[in-house]
Amino acid sequence: MSRRRERIDRGIKVRADDIYALTSWREMLYLAAPRVAPVLTLLVVGLAAGPYWQRVIMTTSMFALLAISWDVLAASGMVSLGQALFFGVGAYTSGMLNHYFGWSPLLTIPLAAVIGGAISTLLLLPVLRLRGLYFAMVTLIMPLIIERVIEATGIFGGTEGISGLASLPHRLVELLVAMVMVWVALFGLRRLMDSDYGLVLKGINDNDRSVMSAGINIYRRKAEALFIASSIAAFAGAFMTHAYMFVGMPVFAMDYSILPIASTVVGGVGTLAGPLLGAFILVPLSELLRGLGGLRIVIYATLLVVFIVGLPEGIFPYLKRKYTQFERWVEVEK
Amino acid sequence: MLEVTGMMVFYENALAVNDLSLTVEAGQIVGVIGSNSAGKTTLMNTISGLILDLREKERRKGGERITVMGTVRFEDRDISDLPPHRRAEIGIVLCRERHPVFGDSTVLENLRIAGHLRARAEVKQAMDLTFELFPNLARYKRKKAGFLSGGEQQMLAIGMALVVKPRLLLLDEPLLGLSPAMQTTLVQAIKTVRQETGVTIVIAEQFARPILPMIDFGYVIENGMLTMTGSGQELMDNPEIKSAYFGH
Repeated sequence: MSRRRERIDRGIKVRADDIYALTSWREMLYLAAPRVAPVLTLLVVGLAAGPYWQRVIMTTSMFALLAISWDVLAASGMVSLGQALFFGVGAYTSGMLNHYFGWSPLLTIPLAAVIGGAISTLLLLPVLRLRGLYFAMVTLIMPLIIERVIEATGIFGGTEGISGLASLPHRLVELLVAMVMVWVALFGLRRLMDSDYGLVLKGINDNDRSVMSAGINIYRRKAEALFIASSIAAFAGAFMTHAYMFVGMPVFAMDYSILPIASTVVGGVGTLAGPLLGAFILVPLSELLRGLGGLRIVIYATLLVVFIVGLPEGIFPYLKRKYTQFERWVEVEK
Repeated sequence: MLEVTGMMVFYENALAVNDLSLTVEAGQIVGVIGSNSAGKTTLMNTISGLILDLREKERRKGGERITVMGTVRFEDRDISDLPPHRRAEIGIVLCRERHPVFGDSTVLENLRIAGHLRARAEVKQAMDLTFELFPNLARYKRKKAGFLSGGEQQMLAIGMALVVKPRLLLLDEPLLGLSPAMQTTLVQAIKTVRQETGVTIVIAEQFARPILPMIDFGYVIENGMLTMTGSGQELMDNPEIKSAYFGH
């Protein structure tokens, strides 16, 4: 007699999928736990940690925002190799507003998110028709161009950058704003991607011609998605500018393009929660390995490869499956 | 020549092929007749071994778990665990459904890619046969395959299978999306192929009317299960087949 392994949704999930069937605290907890637990955990760890690790959590949150924004773009059919473009444009925008006009960070950061998103969208508007590799190549080159322009012309502080920018009111405010922003972006965008609007974006990624046939202007939709995603990344850039009280050419560095992609791959593409999880694994890990000197990159890169080969679906989809389904061996009857 | 015993295929918890057994004798044309979702493509993928590759890919990305049970024997050898490329080497060649051709390559390039397993002379010979069978294709030798019509792409796909010098040719829905006139041409071509090369052919198809007259033996499957077997004539005379596939 032969057997096979069977995968079944947990009864509690089947019932909880229908909101009217929530009859017990247990079922409500089942639904709420995966959403509430990470928020609370991060809050407690953040508040309990020392200044150094609070700083790490703040930075990680910004990388998480970059990764989420990358995932939104990828889900809409735009694979970006240049999150640094959005990050850098946001960083410079808020830096300039603060430096030249003396505006408070509380004003420059939101403004930089919107203006930075708009500038990035305008810059990429001509290449929205490109798909896949071609779009990726253009986004890869863009931050490099801007970096060299700043270096060559000496505008915006040139190679020196601009220091002495205003900082955020308090270290704890900084940390809490970073956390709130991460959760707002995650839950808001997850909801957006599940709405009709998000379904159209996913459709563009899947089969753009079918979406066009449905009478939808895909270039307009792509531009909107690009604006949403780049605004989030620009926010991260603006926030980091005021956290470091400095803006300069390093904001266009490759790190800001590559780490979000690595986080997404480790966490799970297309889930938005995956990239966040990935960022919260990779960035603190790279801090932990700092003591190892040159070996740090080797270990870090090896881990990445292990994850990609061993768990290509990503950590989040794997955990989600284990949470909602169970497996058992069954006899196969002929 | 080919013996499939107790084949069962699960996609996750859905049973696609249910305890199916079939035998193909050398030189025969065997038809597998069934409507959509009957399990024809899964059966073809299991015989050609593609299902093993699909299973591995799904396993890696944590997608649907595919379970394959039962044995496939080819010329008295158990090939159940043989990967698809090795099966092509020993002569089991599948022409997949929806005419899969390399759209950016020309017709000639497509045939040459397909024929990389065989010697140049053999490929040349098979190409000549293909162009003889499908004169239309000969006119478009240097045209990109992606710009051919659906029927021409199907002809090219069959040509690509022939170039591999199959001993067992598996055709998955060769008539899909073709006009009745084109279907007749293709059926005629399949008969000619058998005459000229003596290859054994298994055709999975939902259009029973053009297929039944030319097959030596037919299997009718429904929901993954074998419901009827018999020679082409027997199946054509069967009242149930008549009502289900001929509409009277």
